[in-house]
Amino acid sequence: MKYDLFFKLAKEAGIEECELSISSGHSLSFSLFHGEVDNYSEDESFAISARGKINGKMGTASCDVWNKDKVKFLVNEIVNNAIVIESTDPTFIFKGSEKYHKTSTFNKNLEKISIDEKMAKLRQLETNLKNYDKRIIEVEEVSYDECFSTHTLMNSHGLKLSQKLNYFVYGGAVIAKNGDQTKSGGDLFLANDFTKFDTNDLTKKICDQTLRKLDGEPCKSDAYPAVLDADVVKSLLIPYIGHSEAEEVQKNSSLFKDKLNQKIASSKVTILDMPLAKTIFSRWFDDEGVACYNKPIIKKGVLQTYLYNLTTAAKDNVQSTGNGAKTGGKIGTASALLVMKPGKTSLKDLLKKVNNGVYITEVSGLHAGLNAQSGNFSLQATGYRVENGKIGKGLDIITVSGNLLDIFKNVITVGSDAKLFLSGVVCPSVQVKSIKVGGK
Amino acid sequence: MISKKIAIEVLNVGLSTGADYSEIFFEDSNSYSLSIENGRVETSNSGATCGAGIRLLKGNQCVYGFTNNVSKKGLLKLATDLSKSFNEKQKLTVTDLKQIRCKNRNPVNNSYNDISREEKIALVKEGINEIESEKDPRIVRYIGSFGNFHRFVAVFNSKGKWFKRSSEFGRLAYLVVAMDQNGMETGFEGPGCQQDISYFKSKVNPRDVARHSMEVALKMLSAKECPSGKMPVIIGNGWGGVLFHESCGHPLEASAIAKGLSCFAGKEGQIIASKLVTAVDDSTIPQAWGSIDIDDEGNLGTKRTLIKNGKLVDFMIDDFNGRRMNREGNGSCRRQNYKYCPTSRMSNTYIANGKSTKEEIIKATKLGLYAVGFNGGSVDPTTGEFNFGCSEAYIVRDGKVCEPVKGATLIGKGSEVLLNIDMVGNDLDMGQGMCGAASGSIRTNVGQPTIRIKEMTVGGRGGELK
Repeated sequence: MKYDLFFKLAKEAGIEECELSISSGHSLSFSLFHGEVDNYSEDESFAISARGKINGKMGTASCDVWNKDKVKFLVNEIVNNAIVIESTDPTFIFKGSEKYHKTSTFNKNLEKISIDEKMAKLRQLETNLKNYDKRIIEVEEVSYDECFSTHTLMNSHGLKLSQKLNYFVYGGAVIAKNGDQTKSGGDLFLANDFTKFDTNDLTKKICDQTLRKLDGEPCKSDAYPAVLDADVVKSLLIPYIGHSEAEEVQKNSSLFKDKLNQKIASSKVTILDMPLAKTIFSRWFDDEGVACYNKPIIKKGVLQTYLYNLTTAAKDNVQSTGNGAKTGGKIGTASALLVMKPGKTSLKDLLKKVNNGVYITEVSGLHAGLNAQSGNFSLQATGYRVENGKIGKGLDIITVSGNLLDIFKNVITVGSDAKLFLSGVVCPSVQVKSIKVGGK
Repeated sequence: MISKKIAIEVLNVGLSTGADYSEIFFEDSNSYSLSIENGRVETSNSGATCGAGIRLLKGNQCVYGFTNNVSKKGLLKLATDLSKSFNEKQKLTVTDLKQIRCKNRNPVNNSYNDISREEKIALVKEGINEIESEKDPRIVRYIGSFGNFHRFVAVFNSKGKWFKRSSEFGRLAYLVVAMDQNGMETGFEGPGCQQDISYFKSKVNPRDVARHSMEVALKMLSAKECPSGKMPVIIGNGWGGVLFHESCGHPLEASAIAKGLSCFAGKEGQIIASKLVTAVDDSTIPQAWGSIDIDDEGNLGTKRTLIKNGKLVDFMIDDFNGRRMNREGNGSCRRQNYKYCPTSRMSNTYIANGKSTKEEIIKATKLGLYAVGFNGGSVDPTTGEFNFGCSEAYIVRDGKVCEPVKGATLIGKGSEVLLNIDMVGNDLDMGQGMCGAASGSIRTNVGQPTIRIKEMTVGGRGGELK
């Protein structure tokens, strides 16, 4: 076997238990500008990361070529890295879960679609975007990307797990102009079933959201009753749920510390970790080989669980929740798919409920304006006024600010318009009591 | 490493269907990183990366692919696959490759690969000890880290040139989390360089870096929420340059200019900034974080004045985007690694010194914000709209720096802010960052002296500024 040499050399070097995590695949992407293919790329990629234990300490190393020299490199570096570890946290190379619920993230039909067919749809998207509205003055780019990959985990206990994945993404970006105002916007469509892609739908999404940014102006700085669009909820949900990571809790940097089984959000809020849901984000084993399963993190406002890997679970004397996720050489935790349970109220009715306030459609600059640790945020935003229950004048060059804990406590109604986002989140729009807006 | 003979063969296969340019980018790099959490070494990780990317150009079309198989067979297969994008006759043939030699302004005398893990750990622990010596119960978590990166690159192209480039980087960083009954705040500082470990022992003191991270976290804990609205904003020197990087640097890259997608497209020779503003992108500063001797297309690193006394005079240009602009590349073509198709990028980008002192700028401000530290930011190059978050900021009242404020976000348009700069200081400094864009994450320096913007939109949770 191709990888046997690693396990043999590791044993000879005194590594007690070890593991290889292998990703391989190929991808294709191309883009058009003014009807011409301006970028085309295809590649074969391979990456391998290795971990091994010596005297209970875990050493790690990675490479992207597999030959005898690199096997020696991995073994040697694991040994040298393990020796200097001082952390007393328990470490694990996992023997395997009793049962795995396999899910499929591979659509074999995608491989049968010809490049010409993919290109034709892209050309159609570019033409549609150009002709949608005369205020659309430029199509910045339309692009197609696809990825086929296989992730394999194998270790010295004989555990071997493998999951295949494929998906494609169509994307487009346009520039809209009206008078002196210029705005740009774009959106993506992501799936692994080619028949689900409709160029007209994506065109409408991209153009409508760009055009609606035109003619906006700041409003007076104040706190307003608000509807937050699903796109905004998605941006806030990811750092919010980051506080459920057990390591953050154990290291005193989580806002959810000591809050297990307590009410931390509005009773309208239910947030689930759904790795087995049928999406392209589906995962049935985590980065340590533990079986993934669906579970609520927050149920009707009450915190149900923290997200654990094997190390943090052992420290709290509980079972891993199958959320082990590799970042660099370290196993942290992550959710494959976060789902905020939708309600029954349409977006239109959410706006009616607000009556007079603001509808925030987009926030940007998350990495600059959001302090994930404290939960405080102040973000550039765009949206509309809500006047007599309907969408009114556009809002531009405004900021919205608040604290993540407060926002989810202040949810009054959850919308029915749940959407899937590229960041592995499904969520709807929500009505919140109020949000601070900085403007004039 | 790829031999000249194989390179010529692969380049010609790339040209065989009518491409007017072909290029092989070979890379063999290694990296090491460690982190120390709450006093104990928690991670120690090594990585090696080796592969090649091939780029073919034909007019305004670009074809790119990469592989980990750098054998003759692997490279020929990749070049053959990519050449299928075109279907004309071969126009060019490579017969010889001449080596471009350039001055090595960024030598690292003692490779980080020859320094023991123990020495690197001891370096980080100096700062850790400084944090621990404070014994402040509000400090709930502190992480020190060190990383080094060695990169060997060889590029061969159909202009008959080849070159090799070897570079090494080191970076030390501390993150401190402080908490009290009011909430949680963080402080971060991470200086980096293209110099050996002596830099972190002579020019940068780990204790000072760690102390500063700790002090910012503690200071922000007691800070009030920043007021919001329009106000004069003084931006501190060094890391404050992230404002220019985001709002003006990115829109001045040929990747945005060439297709007319930048807010500065077509404005060469026009006044786009206050006359006090001269801005530069200089990849020739010896051993600076963002310096390169030669870019990924074989053009030598240069010092480019982008804006001179308010007038737009130049851009960051790569050869490919330069085709649409009828301009040659000016040494700005960069990429993260072989997995990325290269494009025009910044190196060390800064606003040049003016005449005011920092004290004069503060003294001249009746009521406004003094933003000293930043978390980062982002920009839409089409509109020039940007936003960035302040990690350390103060209210200026009657010419004096007063109470610290937290949660400040600066938002606006690059084109408007540039024209609104009404004071430029004489205390130019640089800060080290990682810049993400189409060709991946690369090392760049941002920099500026203290500057004042007459009026700017500030976002915060603290109500009106009084």
